Amino acid sequence: MGLPMTLLLPLTFLLPLAGTLILSISRGTLSERASAFVGVASIGLSALVTGLIFLQFLAGDGAPQTVTLWTWIAVGDFQPTIGLALDGLSLTMLGVITGVGFLIHLFAAWYMRGEEGITRFYAFMNLFVFSMILLVLGDNLLMLFLGWEGVGMCSYLLIGYYYQHSTNGWAAFKAFIVTRIGDVFLAIGMFLIFLELGTLNIAEILQRAPEVWARGDTMVELAALLILGGAMGKSAQLPLHTWLADAMAGPTPVSALIHAATMVTAGVYLIARMNGIFTLAPDVLYLVGVIGALTLLMAGFAALAQTDIKRVLAYSTMSQIGYMFLALGVGAFDAAIFHLMTHAFFKALLFLSAGAVIVSCHHEQDMSRLGGLWRRLPLAYAGFVIGGAALAALPLITAGFYSKDEILWQALASGNGGLLLAGLIGAFLTSLYTLRLIIGTFHGETKSDNARHAEAGRGLVHGLPLVVLAVLSTFLGAWLQPPLADVLPASPGEGVHAWHTALEIIASATALAGIALGAWLFLRRREWLARLAGQGWGARLWTLWNHAWGFDAFFDRLLVRPYRGLVRLLSGDPLDGLIGLSTRLAWLFNAGLTRTQTGKMRIYATSMVFGATLVLLVLVLGA
Amino acid sequence: MLTMTHLVALTPLILVCITAVAVMLGIAWQRHHAGTAIASAAGLNIALLSVLVIWQMGPVETPLLVIDGLALFAAILILISTLVCVTLAHAYLEKYPGPREEFYLLLLCAAAGGIVLAASRHLATLFFGLELLSMPLYGMLAYAFRERHSLEAGIKYLVLSAAATAFLLFGMALLYAQTGRLDLAGLAVALTEDPNAWALAGAGLMLVGLGFKLSIVPFHLWTPDVYEGGPGPAATFLASASKVAVFVVLLRLVLVAPAFQGDWLHGLLAVLAVVTMLVGNLLALAQSNLKRLLGYSSIAHFGYLMVALVIGDGLAVETVGVYLVTYLVTTLGAFGVVTLLSTPYSGEDAAALHHYRGLFWRRPYLTAVLTVSMLSLAGIPFTAGFIGKFYIIALGVEAERWWLVGGIIMGSAIGLFYYLRVMVTLFLVEPGMQRRDAPHDWGVRAGGVVVLGLALLVLLLGVYPSPMIEWVKLMAVAGS
Repeated sequence: MGLPMTLLLPLTFLLPLAGTLILSISRGTLSERASAFVGVASIGLSALVTGLIFLQFLAGDGAPQTVTLWTWIAVGDFQPTIGLALDGLSLTMLGVITGVGFLIHLFAAWYMRGEEGITRFYAFMNLFVFSMILLVLGDNLLMLFLGWEGVGMCSYLLIGYYYQHSTNGWAAFKAFIVTRIGDVFLAIGMFLIFLELGTLNIAEILQRAPEVWARGDTMVELAALLILGGAMGKSAQLPLHTWLADAMAGPTPVSALIHAATMVTAGVYLIARMNGIFTLAPDVLYLVGVIGALTLLMAGFAALAQTDIKRVLAYSTMSQIGYMFLALGVGAFDAAIFHLMTHAFFKALLFLSAGAVIVSCHHEQDMSRLGGLWRRLPLAYAGFVIGGAALAALPLITAGFYSKDEILWQALASGNGGLLLAGLIGAFLTSLYTLRLIIGTFHGETKSDNARHAEAGRGLVHGLPLVVLAVLSTFLGAWLQPPLADVLPASPGEGVHAWHTALEIIASATALAGIALGAWLFLRRREWLARLAGQGWGARLWTLWNHAWGFDAFFDRLLVRPYRGLVRLLSGDPLDGLIGLSTRLAWLFNAGLTRTQTGKMRIYATSMVFGATLVLLVLVLGA
Repeated sequence: MLTMTHLVALTPLILVCITAVAVMLGIAWQRHHAGTAIASAAGLNIALLSVLVIWQMGPVETPLLVIDGLALFAAILILISTLVCVTLAHAYLEKYPGPREEFYLLLLCAAAGGIVLAASRHLATLFFGLELLSMPLYGMLAYAFRERHSLEAGIKYLVLSAAATAFLLFGMALLYAQTGRLDLAGLAVALTEDPNAWALAGAGLMLVGLGFKLSIVPFHLWTPDVYEGGPGPAATFLASASKVAVFVVLLRLVLVAPAFQGDWLHGLLAVLAVVTMLVGNLLALAQSNLKRLLGYSSIAHFGYLMVALVIGDGLAVETVGVYLVTYLVTTLGAFGVVTLLSTPYSGEDAAALHHYRGLFWRRPYLTAVLTVSMLSLAGIPFTAGFIGKFYIIALGVEAERWWLVGGIIMGSAIGLFYYLRVMVTLFLVEPGMQRRDAPHDWGVRAGGVVVLGLALLVLLLGVYPSPMIEWVKLMAVAGS
């Protein structure tokens, strides 16, 4: 029945790759329409193939399938294969990447119309999807790492897409360098795993790890810690989170795809994929939860004090990934992946709606210059309301409610009171900043000419992605239960039901309380807030949150400046001279040797005779 | 006695020779450039097919030649290089004012010489093959003899090569005087029984002769001048087929005669290897002429390859095979681009790096080919060059020859600089420069198709090397 997996699985990433190649070799000869068509169609076809895979997978027994295409090079134990593995987890990720990815690509055709370099945009986007699919389908850590670096590079290229402004270039630099710190951790973790277990194949790692390592072994803790380092960088968790807010410099569809729905969740995927390592290292797993909790609080407060729509959403993304980390930390891997999926839906919706607002308002994205747009931009408004409701986890009717409730419930069931409390406070903050975002953008008076002359987007390309994502953000989206049962270990809350309903009620009440307070504050008592934020402690707190607790300044003082100072200090030191010596020596030798190239045959012949004499001397005297 | 089996085993060689004769007669009857090129290509293709057919035969020995896995492997590489040279030559010579057809004749003769050389099991065939390989090359290098550089390259190669041959002959004579044998197997036996200084000296002098052709330091000085001066297709042949054939025979000598692996010869080879890779790379650093740069690069690469000779056991044969394949594909690609840019013949070749400045903006595909070749020469992962270099380093690490490994690493580090410099040049823009260019329809011509194919092959071998490795393993098994 059906087509063989050996064909279908590679097709999912070969199609985007083909898109990239076509777009890059066209060298600007394609029209804007043709470029957009190629870019969107490649992902669309890939999504269709994913659909086929999904059907076949469901029709089968759900057992993991591996497709080994070939062995790259075989040297002793080191036999990295170009291999793909399909199980419930990678299938879920694949669905999110190609499905949501397709909608975002489609929307981008509206968003990017008339922009310069649209071919380049789609070439990078397709390359990103290709790398991301490699990341989730690779059956060994080397393939995963390849995809991991690929998405990092595409992220860099797309953040700096508007390269004429140097600030965008710096933002791209920052994203690349900060995530690179995490990447180095991951690479070292991979080396360690290979050294200890002798394999990079993920299935084999998970199988061998319990045989080689005891629970809580120092080595396994170290390995888990290193992997966590990689995940923190990619997923923008404390303290490697500083790049994400600046990454909003890229086009909004990029923010939707890379910096909300897919790439930033790669860290969550990585930890869930390596669950066997983390369950052997309970301390590190707990640390994952703590980092998640801290990040979600930190980012929640920061989101309250942003005025740029996209920055609010960026901090909200950080905070939601914090929830996923929290879930991972309490051992509820499937809850984390479930939230990853619903978050991809509603955050993509929010970002695309934000994109609609931004383009409609002539690239105005500062809330203090928007407002009162709900009549003019009804579709974007609806997107914001539905997406915001899901983000705030409005009970029963939104997708976000089911996934976030699951996380809180697992935190309770695992007995981590502190994490649960953080989650609840975070939920309250989420509703508060979501409401502030919606009211600030769509209600009240319109504060600038750009917003007053807003023109609503039209057409299927603009409307369809918003509508589909809106539907997926409601409880309908929560019906898509990822088939994770066979892949991930059982959650702590499995089979327990006491207190579940009570927690649901508490969580719902928290979210609603946040919304009620927000509505009261932002609609009725704006002047209070303005006064509070204008002076004394309120102003300081506002500044602190606006700068996301001052991590940038902190790192600047702690790392960047000392580093620069060190560089300046070392620029004239003897050690540096020693390193420079090697290049100078090379040039010196080059100059010396070049003198032998006289072009004169007699010199050449002499050199030959000299060489022959040397050979003879060595051999005859040696014997 | 020559039996039917022998004849069958020698078909590739015979076919190449027949093609050469046919081409010669054709020229005598009527000059036709395209026809000559097509006839040569057809003959080479048939010879290539015949190799594939007799692949399974197993080693066949005549008193002078041995057709084993190694010989067939070398024959394939030589035939493919020659084919590439024929296609490139066709494009290159199109506007050449003098007679054009003889070039193919010379190419075919040289190819036959290479095949003989790689299959020789007797000093007589070794000498004969080497000379048959070299003689036509003098002609090919000086083919554009109205150009001062071309003529100079031909004469330089002729004189120095003659000197090298003298060393080689003298070495052979010493060996014969000591042992009374000329076949390699007999020599090996005699030398194992009675190794003495004279015989070692003979081996050393042979090494000088062969080392010259491989441009091992300090016999390397001719390389850049000749590469630069010779016409593109001739330089391509010199860098590919000629080197492959000579290296294979050197490998044969080292493999067949373990007695040669006395401590001193061994140590000498190791020192020469390290010096060669370092000097080759260092010389290339400041080079502003792409053909000279490629010449230096080939010096360095054969320095790396000598590591396999020094170690000489374990994976050595497999390593040599893999490295030769990757080197060949890459070098052919790089020289192909240089030749195409100098096409059609219009005096001196476009080789100065400033000719390549901003090439990307005019010829993106050719630039892609050259970029891929440079990456592969530098040994960047996912190109063929990485696989080759990986094998060499793995071999060195396995044998724990840390000096050699250190040399490879230092050489590669230096190499990266000038390969990347070439790449950077390709993407710079400087409007208003005097530029050399390939004809607009280069991509649909045979030469263009060939270089594109080579670039794809470089990438393919880098990503999916296992079939090539399997094939080389087969060769290594059949050869030992």
